[in-house]
Amino acid sequence: MASKFGLAGGIPERRVRPIWDAIDSRQFKNALKLLTSLLSKYPKSPYALALKALIHERMGKPDEALAVCLDAKDLLYKDDSSLMDDLTLSTLQIVFQRLDHLDLATSCYAHACGRFPNNLELMMGLFNCYVREYSFVKQQQTAIKMYKLAGEERFLLWAVCSIQLQVLCDKSGEKLLLLAEGLLKKHIASHSMHEPEALMVYISLLEQQSKYNDALEVLSGNLGSLLVIEVDKLRIQGRLLARARDYSAAVDVYKKVLELSPDDWECFLQYLGCLFEDDSMWKFFDDIDQIHPTKHIECKFSHLTEEMFDSRISSASELVQKLQRDTENSNLRGPHLAEIEIEKRKFLFGKKNDRELLKSLLQYFLKFGHLACYASDVEAFLQVLPPHKKAEFVGMLVKNSDSVSASATIELGQTTTILKVQELTGNIFELPLGEIEASAVKLAKLYCQNLPLSKDLDPQESMFGEELLSLISNMLVQLFWRTRHFGYLAEAIMVLELGLTIRGHVWQYKILLLHIYSYIGALPLAFERYKALDVKNILTETVSHHILHQMLESPMWVDLSNLLQDYLKFMDDHLKESADLTFLAYRHRNYSKVIEFVLFKERLQQSNQYEAARVEASLLQLKQNADSIEEEERVLENLKSGVQFVDLSKEMGSRTLRFNEDMQTRPWWTPCPEKNYLLGSFEEFSYCPKENVNKDREENVRRAIQRKSLVPRMIYLSIQCSATALKESVETNGSGGDVKTCGELKSLLEEYTKMLGSSFSDAVGMITEISQGARTSESLGSDLVDWLNFAVFWNAWSLSSQEHWHVLNLLFERLILDRIKSMGSSDMSSCYSDVQVLVQIITEPLGWHCLVIQACTRSSLPTGKKKKKAQHSDHLPSSPMTQAVKDSIHSLCSTVQEVSTWLTNQINNPEDAQVEKFLSTLKRNEDAGGPGHVLWVLESFIASSEESEVGSRIFEALKTWSKADSTRKTVTAQQKLLREFLQICESKRELLEKLKQQMTHV
Amino acid sequence: MVCIRRATVDDLLAMQACNLMCLPENYQMKYYLYHILSWPQLLYVAEDYNGRIVGYVLAKMEEESNECHGHITSLAVLRTHRKLGLATKLMTAAQAAMEQVYGAEYVSLHVRRSNRAAFNLYTETLGYQINDVEAKYYADGEDAYDMRKNLKGKQIHHHHGGGGHAHHHHGAGCCSGDAKEAEDAKATSSK
Repeated sequence: MASKFGLAGGIPERRVRPIWDAIDSRQFKNALKLLTSLLSKYPKSPYALALKALIHERMGKPDEALAVCLDAKDLLYKDDSSLMDDLTLSTLQIVFQRLDHLDLATSCYAHACGRFPNNLELMMGLFNCYVREYSFVKQQQTAIKMYKLAGEERFLLWAVCSIQLQVLCDKSGEKLLLLAEGLLKKHIASHSMHEPEALMVYISLLEQQSKYNDALEVLSGNLGSLLVIEVDKLRIQGRLLARARDYSAAVDVYKKVLELSPDDWECFLQYLGCLFEDDSMWKFFDDIDQIHPTKHIECKFSHLTEEMFDSRISSASELVQKLQRDTENSNLRGPHLAEIEIEKRKFLFGKKNDRELLKSLLQYFLKFGHLACYASDVEAFLQVLPPHKKAEFVGMLVKNSDSVSASATIELGQTTTILKVQELTGNIFELPLGEIEASAVKLAKLYCQNLPLSKDLDPQESMFGEELLSLISNMLVQLFWRTRHFGYLAEAIMVLELGLTIRGHVWQYKILLLHIYSYIGALPLAFERYKALDVKNILTETVSHHILHQMLESPMWVDLSNLLQDYLKFMDDHLKESADLTFLAYRHRNYSKVIEFVLFKERLQQSNQYEAARVEASLLQLKQNADSIEEEERVLENLKSGVQFVDLSKEMGSRTLRFNEDMQTRPWWTPCPEKNYLLGSFEEFSYCPKENVNKDREENVRRAIQRKSLVPRMIYLSIQCSATALKESVETNGSGGDVKTCGELKSLLEEYTKMLGSSFSDAVGMITEISQGARTSESLGSDLVDWLNFAVFWNAWSLSSQEHWHVLNLLFERLILDRIKSMGSSDMSSCYSDVQVLVQIITEPLGWHCLVIQACTRSSLPTGKKKKKAQHSDHLPSSPMTQAVKDSIHSLCSTVQEVSTWLTNQINNPEDAQVEKFLSTLKRNEDAGGPGHVLWVLESFIASSEESEVGSRIFEALKTWSKADSTRKTVTAQQKLLREFLQICESKRELLEKLKQQMTHV
Repeated sequence: MVCIRRATVDDLLAMQACNLMCLPENYQMKYYLYHILSWPQLLYVAEDYNGRIVGYVLAKMEEESNECHGHITSLAVLRTHRKLGLATKLMTAAQAAMEQVYGAEYVSLHVRRSNRAAFNLYTETLGYQINDVEAKYYADGEDAYDMRKNLKGKQIHHHHGGGGHAHHHHGAGCCSGDAKEAEDAKATSSK
């Protein structure tokens, strides 16, 4: 349109250019100046106004920007045609979008399109608006109009994509697909088809309707030539044939693919699936819910006779042998792995060929055992073996590796592989302590011995034997677990810190350290190692689970807040901006990517972590401000009194939750954030592979989010109830709080207990019994904090009952003091999990209860600042409830004091003494087992190493590393955490003292 | 899955994880998305036998200059999966797609002067030649080799100086800002 008038928005380009330049270079004041002069000449120009709005928005004045935008919009609607061009509209669109008013941008475009029904440019703008709003139906309608107007293939495909999205995301009826198919057919009949991507959409459309044979026909017809890469075409053909259950034809096609591309593993699996007429394989390929697909593939044989199985498996063997011959001179692993897969299938069929299976695995070891990928290559095969066979296999590897060691690197590689296989089969957990220790020492020697190999490597390059240190530390952690000898853990820290000094980029070391530090309460240092991973962008979604859980249970509020804010900002921004990117795919005619990308957005939107983080971020604010009821009320006001979270909690039950976290990078002892084997005893442990931990988590995570989402509202209601309770109790001796508020709180309490797996009355019974000592706190399990929350809000709901106050006081006392008693004088390293619980109790339930008390106290005080007067005229007579409040304050005060005292004792323990103690655990006993032997090997090597041998870079690193430094850092980090916690306790105590003072006036 | 296959949008999760594990740089997610939504045929991932992504190549088309040509933006292979020829396979796949799908005349890339392993891969295994040296191309001040490889057996037209860098400032789409930022971090990891 602009071209029609030759002017942008009716204004010559030379007048506008400087303004845009000023905006681009962020000289907003200058831009505004230029604009003011422009507006004086064109006061009624919507374009000039749109620019003004843009400048205001960039200057951080959203209200002004919106007002100006609305003026521009009015002008557009009122004024006649000439000024309604795409440039004006798109400028307005930018501002509206930034102001979160997509709807207004859309209505401007819709209005313009109504005025100029044949303007393609404006329609494209309108389509884009609907893309941003994810309004698939409107997208479709607009695209169809454009198609009718211009007859271009791409517009038709925009419409078809919009239809597919309706079916996939809005769950609209599949009948729509038939409509899309009809549209495409008609187009092909008259215009044929010209884009490979269009063909892919057509095929996927047919596939979605299970019309596999139709799709095959299209593919083998003229249109098939649009796909220029032959093997791609064959893969699609094979898939369609398999889906159509034409297995023998599919087998032939897959054979062809394998001949062209012998390393194509997916194709080989599909080939086998078709050969055995087994459609369960699709479950494997369709399951995209996890970052890493499941390794275990189900196989179904029940429909095959033994004879059928034999003949088919032998034809597979023939093919594999041929592939092996054809690729003899390349180092392809696929055809050799295929041989193992065949043995595995035989084994699963019941052929009792375990010997052959092990032999094929051994053969594979002899060929590829020195490669770092061996263990992960064979993991899925080992999973089908019974434990004793796995152990036998490890024995075979040990025996055979010795006999073949040709070069240092091969020997190193094989040794590493064997250890990794021991780890992933769980075999390592069955070895006697002495053997593990000896093995760790052997690996440490091997590491030192091979350092010279890495002498000339670039600093970014992976070192030889790099993985050995991770393996050693895994063993040491296990030794700690089995013996509870802290020295092993200290040794693991030393090994990894040394490794990190030599090679600063190794993420495995950082992750392992992060988890060890977290376990011993050196959380600030754990967080430092986490930060060194440089986690950003989408990695915040996949990797932050390593630290988030520990941070949530810590007093490190500032770092936690940053962590949550960074993550939420990334997710929010992505969800906001991703629609712009979707349009990029439309424009580039990458239709299949449009669909993938929209589904990907949903995947992120449904992230369990995202939901949880939003709740946690609000809870954190509430925790941070809980010492001042006024501040807390402001936070609650911003949270709309918690109403939205209650809605979230209700919806949660039916919501899809996605798990995008990459759990495979976690250490063996904590396969998911909620689990830590080190907290339990070795005897209760049964090794299970890390796979699929997310499946088990789903229900727990859902319930946790549901529970936590109720807390802000319950805090709000508790404050409301308390605000009037004391007065009323004095005046009417009633139950306190207004009926509606209490009613709502009661129903939330019922919800809350339901999610704790209990009924309201049982829950009350439970906490009462625990307070009386009739039950131990262990019966609360890992939800202890949630139970205490319940107790607090239950009391707030029934404030007039002195007995309830009493139960709550006792509960706090018992749960806190029991912990302090059991921690005794042990140091942080061995009792951090208790500290974690204390942090939560003090900052959550106890914090919320203090709010209730604050509300009660406030209401009992005279209004205004007439304190002096108050003592005379407004003085309330003491009631049973006043007494209850006083008692509670008193009780909490002394309980918190106990925690402070414990913390102070810990903090007052001189740092040097703690360092000394830490180091003493590392002293080895020359004549016996125990910690320190591995470290001794490393230290002796450092002492004797020469620059000429290991190269200057490694030499420098070895010389700069110091055991004492690492120890001091650990101790300092522990102290820092304790101090942060002490500060929180002190502030609670001060608050309680203040309240005590205030209550003396009552 | 296939050893070398086209990337899907979902792969981004694992691709970024791969980045964490083998590249010192990690890009803005928008930058990946910009590539995959614009030239999906040029993104390949190397998938291990149990479905784990262990490498990828990110490439794009430069359609603005006279000759339509491709550009390799990033190449990464997990440390545990090096020396298996995966980088070569990824590069070959991307180059083939540039030629067959987009009719590219040649393909270009930048590599750190100090990155011997990558330089050897490009020159010896893949047949790239040095077209130019870009002084202080990287953020840390290191020079880059501007390397090219002819596709379709045509002669490469050398044009030193001016044209060399210009294509980094293309204004396509909403990610051009990020494009530059991430370009500074180059393909480094084909060891």
